[in-house]
Formats: sequence, structure tokens, C-alpha cells
Amino acid sequence: MANKRVAICAVAQHKNESDMWYKRFQGMLLDVLEDIQAQTGVDFSEEKGVTNIVSCSDDVFDARTISDNGVTDVLGAQYRGEEKMAQEGLNGVGYAMSIILSGHDDLVYLAGHCKESQPESRDMCTNLGYDPFYGRAMGLDFTNVAGLQARAYMEKSGVTEEHLAKIVVRARQWAARNPYANATELVEPGEVIASPMLCDPIRRLHAYPVSDGAVAMLLASEDRAREFTDNPIWITGFANCMDSYFLGDRDLAGNSALKKAAERAYGHAGIKDPEKSIDLVEVMDAFAYQQPMWMEGLGLCEEGKGDGFIDEAGPARYNVNLSGGMLAGNPIMVGGMYRVAEAVLQLKGEAGEHQVSDVNRAIAHSTTGGAGQFHTVVVLER
Amino acid sequence: MAKHKKNRNVGIIGIGQTEYSSHKEHQNQAEMVNEAVRYALEDANLIMDDIDCVIHGNMELFEMIYQPDMWHEIGTGAYGKEEFRITTGGTTGASLVCAADNLVASGMYDVVLAIGLEKLQEGHTTGGITNMACPLWFRHIQTGALTGTTASAMIDEFGEERAKKAAMKYRIMMDKNACLNPRAHRRFGLDYDQADDLMNTSPQLVGDLRLIHMCSQSDGACVMIFASEEKAKELSDKSIWIRDHITVHREETFNMFGFKKPEMTHHYAARKLFERNGVKDPVEYFDVFEMYDPSAWWGPDWLREFLLLEGDEHIKMLEQGDFDIDGKLPVNPSGGVIATNPIGATAMLRPAEAALQVRGDAGKHQIKGEVKHALASGFGGTMWTVLIMLEKYLDW
Amino acid sequence: MAEYFGVAVEDIFNTMEERFRKEGAGGVDAIFGYDISGEGGGKWKVTVKDENLKVEKIEGDLEGYSVILDTDAETFVGVTIGKVDAGEAFSSGRIKVDGDIGLLTNVLPQIFAKYTPPAKEATAKDIIDSMVDRFRPEKAEGVDMTIGYDLTGDGGGKWTALVKDQTCKVEEGLASDCTVTLQMDAKVFVDLNLGLIDGTAAFTSGQVKIEGDMGAAATSAALFEKFKVAGAEEAEELISLKCLPSVDQRFATGPVMGKWFEGLKEKKFYATKCPKCGRTQIPPREICANCRVRCTECVELGPKGTATFIDIVYYASPDPLTGEVRETPYGGPFFMLDGATEEESFAHGLNPKDLERIKPGMRIRPVWAEERTGSYTDLLYFEIDD
Repeated sequence: MANKRVAICAVAQHKNESDMWYKRFQGMLLDVLEDIQAQTGVDFSEEKGVTNIVSCSDDVFDARTISDNGVTDVLGAQYRGEEKMAQEGLNGVGYAMSIILSGHDDLVYLAGHCKESQPESRDMCTNLGYDPFYGRAMGLDFTNVAGLQARAYMEKSGVTEEHLAKIVVRARQWAARNPYANATELVEPGEVIASPMLCDPIRRLHAYPVSDGAVAMLLASEDRAREFTDNPIWITGFANCMDSYFLGDRDLAGNSALKKAAERAYGHAGIKDPEKSIDLVEVMDAFAYQQPMWMEGLGLCEEGKGDGFIDEAGPARYNVNLSGGMLAGNPIMVGGMYRVAEAVLQLKGEAGEHQVSDVNRAIAHSTTGGAGQFHTVVVLER
Repeated sequence: MAKHKKNRNVGIIGIGQTEYSSHKEHQNQAEMVNEAVRYALEDANLIMDDIDCVIHGNMELFEMIYQPDMWHEIGTGAYGKEEFRITTGGTTGASLVCAADNLVASGMYDVVLAIGLEKLQEGHTTGGITNMACPLWFRHIQTGALTGTTASAMIDEFGEERAKKAAMKYRIMMDKNACLNPRAHRRFGLDYDQADDLMNTSPQLVGDLRLIHMCSQSDGACVMIFASEEKAKELSDKSIWIRDHITVHREETFNMFGFKKPEMTHHYAARKLFERNGVKDPVEYFDVFEMYDPSAWWGPDWLREFLLLEGDEHIKMLEQGDFDIDGKLPVNPSGGVIATNPIGATAMLRPAEAALQVRGDAGKHQIKGEVKHALASGFGGTMWTVLIMLEKYLDW
Repeated sequence: MAEYFGVAVEDIFNTMEERFRKEGAGGVDAIFGYDISGEGGGKWKVTVKDENLKVEKIEGDLEGYSVILDTDAETFVGVTIGKVDAGEAFSSGRIKVDGDIGLLTNVLPQIFAKYTPPAKEATAKDIIDSMVDRFRPEKAEGVDMTIGYDLTGDGGGKWTALVKDQTCKVEEGLASDCTVTLQMDAKVFVDLNLGLIDGTAAFTSGQVKIEGDMGAAATSAALFEKFKVAGAEEAEELISLKCLPSVDQRFATGPVMGKWFEGLKEKKFYATKCPKCGRTQIPPREICANCRVRCTECVELGPKGTATFIDIVYYASPDPLTGEVRETPYGGPFFMLDGATEEESFAHGLNPKDLERIKPGMRIRPVWAEERTGSYTDLLYFEIDD
């Protein structure tokens, strides 16, 4: 990676809710835009302001061709450059960083939105992600393929229903301290284990709640970051990795793409021993089994030892998902951007009630595609 | 927008295109992508191992595939690699080139492969475009990308006869170019003596926008490979350099038909780009312009905007053959969008074809004389525009 | 000569010699009798012995044969060229067999190469004549259209196809009340039907001229099976899957668009007004894109206005409200509502009665639905304000 650094100056999150029926996504994006401007004083003037915007949203979820066309004005992008990351939003962080590192610009405004409540069913949307010949006709979607993966992973790692319940209970405890989280009601392990089965072995409380949300951030070059914050957070590593499409071509419990993405991101950040170098992790645990599984992929839990990781307080050791994580509810397309936003708040010391001390280096992770076909890892430092 | 000099130079080192046609029943989407990927690798004399990162783009609602890069993975070669998916409507292909420019110049990746594609036959194109409009209101009014407003405005400004003739001149010129390009989708073999007949008898779509004027709906994929200056010099002896790019978007509403016309994004983009690169007279400077021209009305009208011309200068130049393939500034020697329009790839075809011209590898539609400076544009959304400058030599 | 599926019964017997395969006839000693009724039929005697073949057309009774096949001419041809299922014809009694049936089912296919009718040049008349046969009533529900064919040049002529009540008939000459008339060279017509040239391309480049309802021309293609030349090799048919993915949506209007729809109920157009530049936006927006400030103040515009640009749409696209193809032409004028800032045009439908008269600069007024619910359909269209 180039020797110059890119900073995240400020982040803004819209509160996640299961059904924001009273607000258009334009309204949600305007809220986070105003939030970022209020925090940083940044404007969109040609001379010194933001002239490049990266957005993240999805045509299928928005039911709009060119979903960014509906929100150009609330992205501040009138007569400015704007490009849409039509993929999980964490990749927008990487792309925004490239615009600055390339020298093309020194500021990028990044904002994403998704309203999972708008379509009748998010699973019907993700079903459209499968080839129309076989996968789609079989009825595959991101929830039921996660069920397949959960089964494979639980068998490999010894993770049980009780472990999954523990993960959900802890997620809600932290979510209760996060003003932006969706699912904040505390639950007992028994409730998790008794919750209805969605896709065996995934129960309703193992799955992230349907969520609406928007999230934004301002990125700046090293030279300009301090114009907008006293406390810039540096992106020191970014990488992603694509796995194969067909489920049968993959070791579903194997984390092959995530391992590669993590290895590359650590390499960029100069991390040699991740277990000793990482203070906080925000993983995209859309389903409870994914939390230990992705931790294995990130090299922070021994391969196949997800059970021990949960039993021996691994999540506490690495400060995993102090935001409540995806289990507390963020929409699918921008779940990774929320992970970054939360990690940045912790690094800045601005996480409020869920702030922990001594966080110097954090990881934000996201995944998309069925059963983790694609993973992205970002390393953030104070 | 580039405010500063790029961190490092970026070269185009490989170009691959499928043939374009109205239907490709013989291959599915992933197979079609794979065909173009193979051609590009072959052109660059590389293998997939040489590629660090893949960028993918097309419109989800045209084929109704959510996150199609996941399925297309079996054709893109992205397995085990880094990948991005960037879409911006009609400008997608050009945005992918800008993204590749950013990603390579950033130092994050040395070699990037970008894929623009569409299989329009697998959906309803006009319906898909109509879905860009707000579902609460304008979706009920819009008819895809069809509008007769530019025709009306040109007829108002230049008189019916001259305006209609200019559009037909442009249309037939494009067909003549397309006939030289074996990959072009629609090659009719039109001749200038058909102009009067066609401009009065071709079926009307909207107002004076007739079927003959409108762009095609095509299936096809275009792939380009980009490398940092150092890598490009090591891997290729035919690199074409991206000098600069600019993207200008505007708001959702098509509210530009009032009493006062705002500055067009095309004009704004050209003005800014040329200013910061010291291009005083674009007609003199550029040797070829591959323009995203969705219709034979928009084509000539937009030449005025992009080339910063005034009054009827663009019509005059068109009439006197300045934009012909052997003219002063050839426009779309490939036949342009009117001939070939696989939407997610269309805006990538512009810099790809422009780069082939600079390389001297365009084949039968190669323009005569050395091509040193090329301009390429993309168009999409509600008058969104992308402009890309290509150079033969690293001497700017 | 009577033809079935483009083939005469005689063609099949007359080609037996050339289709005879000595290597398949080893050890066969049999006399096949054919009693074929109907136009073009007759009786034939086919003798196979010592790897030799003799085919005779005969009169009188068939006697002393190894097997006799009794059928009608159409079934005979159909089964021979594979257009009629032999098993079905046999079970339904259209084919009767007397004698050793195994000779027909097992031996015959070994003795003769399959009959393939010679490809012949299709004419425009062949295509027109086969339209009734190729008609697909299941696709014609509710279709009422008269399609005129005006084919010029060699082999041309004028025909009219009438499709109504899920039936199709074809008449000579052009009807005076065609829904749509297709005019082209007869050669182009044949090439189009054979799939040698692309329909859209022929239409776009002016080789095909369409008068009347373009949408009807487009839908008419689906009413008929594809024309096939008798005897032509059929290309391998690739399978394509049809599906209509559908995910119901519930769109929020939010406070800003919500106010707009509230206004429509009361026959009012509410625009947001930018607190900085004063720009009015309709339908209202959350933000002024130019100033990047939130808009909260609403002002009432119109209801009358001035037309600026007129789009008359002839292309039959689907109506997003109903999925039905929209009736064309329809008007889509852009206009300025009174009180709007100078760049803020608005667009909506036009009263069909004003299609011919509307010009830029004219005054227009809204026409409201009697019952208004706060939706797009509250506003019917605009019309000239005389």
C-alpha cells in the first residue's frame, strides 16, 4: 500500500429500526449528511470541499434501477463525482480510500442506506442472487444457505445451541448500550433456544432482525484530516476476497476467502501476530454461528475451536461486537459500514455507554454472497 | 475529480470484447463474461494469475439478478482475488474505468481487470430504465430513456429541415462506421440518399425521436485490463495512458425543461476537465472522440456541450463532415451507442474503442493518421456524465 | 398433388429406392402392403428379398402380404416424417396393421434411411397460407386485430389476417380497417419469417414499414408458431427459461412526499422552498440539491401553468401501474406551474383530446379525479386552459 495514509474523520449512524415506514431512505441519508457536516464543518465547495462521493445501496432492495439516482441530492452529489459501490458497503471504504491514495482527491464522503422493510421479504431479494437455472429454482437464499453452513460449522467446531444462545444473549446486552442498535431487548438463553426454527439449525433469535438504516463517514488524506477532526482514525489495511459461487465447490466450514482477505489486510497493516495486535473486532455476524466462525477466519480463534472460544470468553478478550453487532440489527448492504463506524467510535473514545478503554487497533469485517462467498477486512488504528 | 496529480500513472494494457448482438442464447451471463475476459487476457498476453483485482458492473434490474458478481464469479476469474462491484446506470462502464484508474493509481493494486456487461435480452430494457424513476411519482410517467425534447429544442433552434437533416446525417454516419466494425450489433448499410425517406417514415417513438434515431438493445461484455506505469511497461509494449477522468452527477428529477436551462453536466464536466488539463481547444487537441450517444438527436446536441462549441458550430461541423471517420475530429468510428448498446458495457466501450484507436488496432474502422489524444464519454442516470482522457505518450 | 406437411405420399414411395440400405436388408424376405386412403393415397406393394427392393403401385385387393398397413394419407406422411406420433396413431386406430407388426416397427427402420423431404424455397404465399395452421389460440385471448400484409416485389401480394375470439382467418386483399399494416418486400417478409434477418433491425432500418398500431405489430408475432420450411433441418433448439421475479414493495412516503399526496387530495400542489435560494421543487424534496440544505417550508404552486416542452409518445411501453401496454399516442408535456422558480419544470399526462393542439407556451390546467385518495391517480392529467 502506498506510504500515505487515509483517515476516517467522522462517522454518522442512523438508528436502525425494523420498520421505518414513516421515512424515505432519502430522509435517512439527509440525517446522516447533516450529522457529518455538523461534526466536521465540511462542505461541498469545488475549491476545498467534497467533490467525490461514494455511495452504497442496492437496486433490488430499493426496487430502483440505479438506486443512487434517487439519492444523489441527499449525498451532496449535485454536479459532483459520485460512484456507487453496488456491493457490501465495507468495500466502499476501500474504494473511497483508493480515490484519496490515487491523488485524484483528498476528501471523500461515503454514505450508504438500505431498507430491508421495504420489500416483502429480504430472503426473496437474496434468492435473486442465485443463478436462474438451478440455485434460484431450488429456493436458495442467504438465510437457508447460512443454515447449511451453520450445520457444517457446528459439526466441525463443537459449537452447540447453548453456545449460540450465549452469543445472542451477549449481543443484546451490548446492544442495549448502543443508541443506534435495533434489537436491544435483553433475552435469556432459554428464549433463544425456544425461539422458532427458521432454517435448521438457525432459529429466529440467531438471525439478525429485519433492519432499516443509513450510515455515513468522511474520509480525508493525511494532509487534510486534521481540518475536520482532532482525532483521525487511520485505515492501515484493506483487503477482500472472493470465494467460488457453487456451495459444493467450497468447504463451507473452511473460511478460505476470509483467511485470504485477513492475511492480506494484516500484511498491509504490518500485523504479524493478530492475536497480540488487535484490541477490538466488529464482525458481520448476521447469524449467531458466524461470530465464532469469522473469528476463526480472522485468525483470532483456533481453527475448529469455536466452542472453546465462546466458553473461555474469547468475545470479551477481543472486544467482539460491542455495538451488539449485526445480531442487534443492521441492514445487509451497509452492515459492514456500521462495523467500521462502531470501530471508529471506539478508537476515538466516543462510543458512549459501550466504550471500552485501551483500544488502539481494531478490525472491521463484512461479508456478502451466500454463506460468506465474499469477505472484506479493514484494519483501523488510532 | 482530480484535484492533484495522480500518485502514479495508469495504463490500459488489454481489451476484450464479445461480439454484440440482440440475443445470445448460446451462452449464459457468466459464460458471456468469461468470453470477454479471455479475449482481454489474450490481448494483454496475461493469465488470470497476473490480475490482482477484478471490478464488475451491470444493472441488477435489467436481468433481475441481485449481486450478480457472485454468480458471475464462475466467469470473471475473481476467485481468490479482490473484487469490487461499481454501478452508476448508463455510465457504469466508464465508472469502472475511473475506478480502475483510482485503484491502480492508489498503489493498492498493480493490475486490475474491469468487466462491464449486459444481457438486455434477458429482461425488459425500457421497463428496466423506467424503474429508475421514483416509484411514488415519475415512474408512472417515464418511458425508459425515450424523450423527444432534444429533437424539439433542436428544431426550435435550427429550423425543422436543418435539424432533421443533421440528425439523419449523424445517424447514417454512425451506421457507416458501424458497418466497418465487425463487432458492432446493428449494421444496416444505410446510405445518405435514404435520409429524407427515413426521417419522415421511420416510426415515431416520442415526438420527432424516431426508431431510426434510437440506440439498440444489445447483449455483450467488454473487459479492460489496467496496470501501473511500472507494471505496464514490464508487461506490455502497447499501453495507452489514462490522463484524467471526471464524473458529474446531478439530482433525481428531470427538471431541466423549464424556462431556464441549467448548465448541462456534459458542459460542466468538459469545462472542468479541459481547464485543469490545459486543453484550450478540444476540437484541435483531440484526435478522436468516442461519445456515449443514445440517439441521433442527443449525439449532435451533446457534441456542442462536450466540445464547448457555441451556436450552430457543431451542426456546421457535422454538415461539412468534420466528425466523419476521415474528418477533423472523428466521432465514434466504432459506430457508437446507436449501433451497440449492452448498457453496463456501453460506457466502457467508449474508452476501450478510443484506446484501440490510439493503439492503431481498431481494424477496419481505424482512423487514418496518428491518434495521440482521445476523449471518451459515458452517460447515464438523469444526465450523468463521465469524461475520460487517454494519451498515447506519457508526455503531458 | 395433395401434400401433407409439405410432402406427398408418392414422394415417400418414389424415394424408397434411393433410401434402401442393402446392409439392413440381409435375411429379410417380406412383402409390405400399403393401403392409403384419402387424397393422394393409393395402394403400394413393396417387396424385399435377397437384399433387393421392388416398389409397385397397384390396383385391386391386397393379398398374400407379410404385413398390410391401412391408414390415411395424412397420417402416413405424418408418421413417416415424424410429425405424427406412430404409437398414438396406432392406438387411436388411425393406423391399422394386419400381419406381422414387428416387420413395421423393427425391420422397416433398418431397411430404409429416414425420409427427409427436400428443402424448398419458401414463398410469401406459403407463409401466409400456413398462418391459420400456425395460429395459437391460447395466446390470442382478448385479442381483436386485423393485420394487413402489403408485400411488394416478386411473389408479393396483399393479404389480411383477422384475429378475433381466439380464431384466425386469412383473406386476400387489404382490409380497409386494419389495426396495423405491414409493408415490405416479399423477399424481406420471407427472410424475416425464416429468421434470416432480425425483425427489429429490418423495422429500424426502414425495410419494414408499419402503419397503425405498432404495439399490435409487436404482439402479433406471438400469436403464431414459427414458420418452418417443409423438410428443412431444424436447428438444435436451445432452452431458455422464463420467469417473472416479483417481490412486493411498500414504499414509504415520509413527511415530504406525504405532504405532496395530502395536497393532491385537496387539489393542491405543494412544493418545498429552499430556505437559501428560494428554489421550489415539485414533487417536493427533502433537500435543495444546489444549496445542500434541508427544505422544510412548503408553498403552493399552480394549479395552472404554462407548457414548455411537449413529448408525444408513440412507443407502446408498459404502464407501471397496471402492467398493461399503454394506449398510444399519449402526451407527456413538461410545464411550469405558476409560482415555480424558473428551472423547475413538472411533467404529467395530457388530456387525449388536446394531443393535436398542444404547443409550448400554452396555458394548461389540472383535471382531478372525482375521488382522491392521496395517490398518483388523484391527478388525471392536464389540459389546455382555454
